[in-house]
Amino acid sequence: MEFSNFPYLTAILLSCVFGLLIILFLPDEKKQAIKQISAVFSGLTLVLSLVVFCTYDTGRAGLQFAERVTWVPSLGISYFNAADGFSLPMILLTGIVFFTGVLTMRELELRVKEFYALYFLLVTGVFGLFMSFDLFFIFIWYDVSLFPMYLLIAVWGSTRKEYGAMKLTLYLLAGSALILPAIIYLHVAAGGTSFDITALMRPGTFSPFQQKLAFLLLFIGFGILAGVWPFHTWSPVGHVAAPTAVSMVHAGVLMKIGAFGVLRVAIFLCPEGWKFWAPLMATLAVIGIVYGALAALSQTDLKFVVGYSSVSHMGIVGLGLSTLTVDGLNGAVFQMFAHGIMTALFFSAIGYIYDRTHTKMIPELGGLSRVMPKASGYFILAALTGIGVPCLASFWGELVVFIAAFKTYPVAGVSAVGALVIGALFMLRVVQRAFYGPMQAKFAHLADIPFHLGIPRMILAAVIVFFGLFPSVLFDVIDSAAVPFMRGLP
Amino acid sequence: MTYPAAADLTLTAAIAATALPLAAFAVILLLTRGFPRLSAALSIAAISVALVCAGLLLVRHGHLETPLEYSTLWMAGGDIVVRVGFLIDPLSLLMLMIVAVICFLVQVYSLGYMAGDPGFARYYAFMSLFAWAMMNLTLAASLLQLYIFWELVGLSSYLLIGFWYEKFSASEAGKKAFVMTRLGDVAFFIGILLVLLNFGNLSILELNSPRAGFLPPAVVTVSALLIFGGIVGKSAQFPLLTWLPDAMEGPTPVSALLHSATMVAAGVYLLARLFPFFSMSPAALQVCLAVGAVSMLLSATMAMVSRDIKQVWAYSTISQLGLMIMGLAAGDYVAGVFHLTTHAGFKALLFLCAGVFIHACGGNDMFEIGRRGARHLKIPMICMIIAAAALSGVPPLSGFFSKELILAALAGRPSPIWLAAGLLGAFLTTYYTFRLIFIILFPRGEAQAKDAHADGHNSEAGYRVMAAPLIVLAAVTGVLGFGGHALGRFLLQGFPGPVPGAGHPTWLPFAALGATAAAVGLAWFEFGRRGADQVGFVERVEPLRELFRRRWYIDDAYRWLLDHVLYRVFSAFCAKNDQKVIDGAVDGLGGSMAAAGRILAVLHTGSVQFRLLVVSVVLILLGLYYFVYPLN
Repeated sequence: MEFSNFPYLTAILLSCVFGLLIILFLPDEKKQAIKQISAVFSGLTLVLSLVVFCTYDTGRAGLQFAERVTWVPSLGISYFNAADGFSLPMILLTGIVFFTGVLTMRELELRVKEFYALYFLLVTGVFGLFMSFDLFFIFIWYDVSLFPMYLLIAVWGSTRKEYGAMKLTLYLLAGSALILPAIIYLHVAAGGTSFDITALMRPGTFSPFQQKLAFLLLFIGFGILAGVWPFHTWSPVGHVAAPTAVSMVHAGVLMKIGAFGVLRVAIFLCPEGWKFWAPLMATLAVIGIVYGALAALSQTDLKFVVGYSSVSHMGIVGLGLSTLTVDGLNGAVFQMFAHGIMTALFFSAIGYIYDRTHTKMIPELGGLSRVMPKASGYFILAALTGIGVPCLASFWGELVVFIAAFKTYPVAGVSAVGALVIGALFMLRVVQRAFYGPMQAKFAHLADIPFHLGIPRMILAAVIVFFGLFPSVLFDVIDSAAVPFMRGLP
Repeated sequence: MTYPAAADLTLTAAIAATALPLAAFAVILLLTRGFPRLSAALSIAAISVALVCAGLLLVRHGHLETPLEYSTLWMAGGDIVVRVGFLIDPLSLLMLMIVAVICFLVQVYSLGYMAGDPGFARYYAFMSLFAWAMMNLTLAASLLQLYIFWELVGLSSYLLIGFWYEKFSASEAGKKAFVMTRLGDVAFFIGILLVLLNFGNLSILELNSPRAGFLPPAVVTVSALLIFGGIVGKSAQFPLLTWLPDAMEGPTPVSALLHSATMVAAGVYLLARLFPFFSMSPAALQVCLAVGAVSMLLSATMAMVSRDIKQVWAYSTISQLGLMIMGLAAGDYVAGVFHLTTHAGFKALLFLCAGVFIHACGGNDMFEIGRRGARHLKIPMICMIIAAAALSGVPPLSGFFSKELILAALAGRPSPIWLAAGLLGAFLTTYYTFRLIFIILFPRGEAQAKDAHADGHNSEAGYRVMAAPLIVLAAVTGVLGFGGHALGRFLLQGFPGPVPGAGHPTWLPFAALGATAAAVGLAWFEFGRRGADQVGFVERVEPLRELFRRRWYIDDAYRWLLDHVLYRVFSAFCAKNDQKVIDGAVDGLGGSMAAAGRILAVLHTGSVQFRLLVVSVVLILLGLYYFVYPLN
């Protein structure tokens, strides 16, 4: 057993689990109490992740906040949590999206207890996955975060919710059906004594052939969750069907799990496979970037537009990961963070609009800026972030990825930069149709976001602007993992 | 940085000038949106301080042999380092002054123009955002910083064009402006990446230094042309020129500030900023020259048939920006920058005057404005005539001197075609300018009794607030031309690029004046004299008029590409592919699984006899198997 100091990471998990237990023991009808408890515990989680983020020492390379408890010695399974520069931004992202998601759902009336319980379970899995350095636990956490999704969408969703939920679950299970054999294969190939990533990633553990094989399985398995083209179609449908907070977690955090899994498991353990398959990754990523933007052009549902823009933006993450450079990894992780916050803001704003207007069809909306300037403002801010306007977070991720891509794959880099025009076109088209134009009489009586409901959106908007103005805060952290990792490669 | 104390004051002033408008933007947006007057006061206070700082910098560094550069780290990760800072040299000081002056005057003018608008506070917030972005762009020390603020300027332009978002045409124009300039910016960005990859450095000073001469010529040419793509977008040059006339949907002060004097001039500024770099590639300069000439002539023809007063000035802006690019591309740095300076003054003035007329007469149609008695509004009418004369190059107004310099530079080119284009451009410019002036001055048809002044919503106080900036700008237009020599000396201090030899053919001024006089005469004959039917010579030729009015079908071409190629082919393909091919395959897989299950389910009838039968058959088969192949 080994603890560096106070086990912050376990504390984050425990605060989710305690929240979950307390919610389970509260009676159904105490909806207000359940919401308050959820807010308190998710707030505590956010504070803890902020503490971890801020006390992380960027000058010291390697894992920090490490906690390890051996569980099954014969198989080499241990509860091994730690944070490095790649996982910290994800932990912070999850904390922010979790807390703002809870606050966004303040108006929920249907089966409140079950909703929050499942929501807490989902987030526990996500946190666990980001922290874990044990392959076995990574797989467990992956499935813990999948299972609640199905119920959350099928019960609380909208627009073909059963279809969306089923599709999402099947896709993600297909992903885990690829991941599990790959993990077992790697475990056995390394002698069957360890699931520890830090041990397995030592050069020479796996032969190049083993790495190539396992990388492909892991890349597709996790890539499905990251919305890699052509395995992306579950994602827009799932986004649309899910209730607001679940859309936020889904697009904001869950898709990051996929990209993070590719990084943490596939790239960490199989660098030879990474080098071998990188051109394929880049090709799929660029197709995704262009394809997602083009498909978004002809959508008529607000959530579908955001869904396809996610495919496009996650393509940028994939492009960054495929460049085999420090810059590419930096940009990819930054973009994961920025995209998470941005989509959370998107869905948070859409959630409010949908609750009030009862539609998210773009042709039926219009002129909302006059009725609800704040709600529209948040959406427009998210749209501008998506376009890549400087001084908003996403810009830096895109910039760094494009520079890296341009060096490694000039053609792919140029095509990806070209897709920026299409990105601007579809985002502004939506903004124009839904929010500009004359006010419609049927919406005239609607109220704008009141202060207490505006808090989560304010937090997300502030985060976007903060990291847009001070990108170094995040880049320093990521850099402290990316540089040693790339240097350690053979 | 030889004088630390002096440097400190310079730095403080630069920071104040660039940061205060941002602070005003943030405060207005977050706190004072409900208080329009306070918001306006904040914004104007910020821009006033910025103006004082710009003036201070200009006075302090009137003699500046070596450029000052301050920079600090913004972002660093891996191999990528983004620095943010200030490059203080004669060009940036001059541009900073222009931006500050025009911003200040336009914001004061807007007090009258935008009075009573429900979005008054938002308007001033966006104006401050623009001022911040533009000033940072001006002082940017590296190409990447310039690009960042270039994009932010584009953003504020989008927000301001679509300011009256309830109007469909306004939001459409904002979107069009953003997307079309984005098209150019993509080229610009790739150009920056190319420079970064080959040169390893994006500092503007480094790029302009002889060190960049070691780059392979092909790289210089290609990256210069890509960067020029950004200029084409931002300065609305051919073929990305059609967004600018549409941008006139924004409030008129916005058109005056962004879409004539400052933002669109940022493209020309960038060309001047990188002039030594561009000069390394004669091929790239040749392309710039051609694009400038084509844009100048095309947009001048469009201006000849327009009835909308703001559109005429918009076309004229494109045309004049083309002329500036020609001047720079012909190798005369001072001529291009001088024309940028004078143009900023008189074009802002033209728009602000047009704004008064539009405000008073309630419409953009110049015939209507004439009939409503716009000529009785003395101050704007006189100011507009002064500015129009400057635009046409009538001596001794500012435009005459700067245009003369550009024509001289064109005369220095080996091929006479550029000078001919320049003279033709000058002729057309004068013609459409005086066409507009005469139409407003001498209205035909029944003059409406309504006096523009008494037209209602234009209060006396508002009128006076709007008139003050006009007078200032008119005075500037009157005297600025004589500062040409001083300006040239100031600009060329420590200038690393090539300087053209002095002197031009003695007949040139006469030729230019002749063209101007002929154009005024023609305009007088067709629009001014008693009994003229106010139909221009191009308007008599049906196909020609149609061609010019439809903007040479450039817009239609874009529309067609967008509708038929992008939406109907590519976008529809992707969306359909998702539904039919990918989802179809996946759903098909699911469906076939279910079908397979259904077939297998037939076996599960639930009858005991059937199960026993199956069990015994299987056992018999197994027994046979081991009987035939013993387990040795």
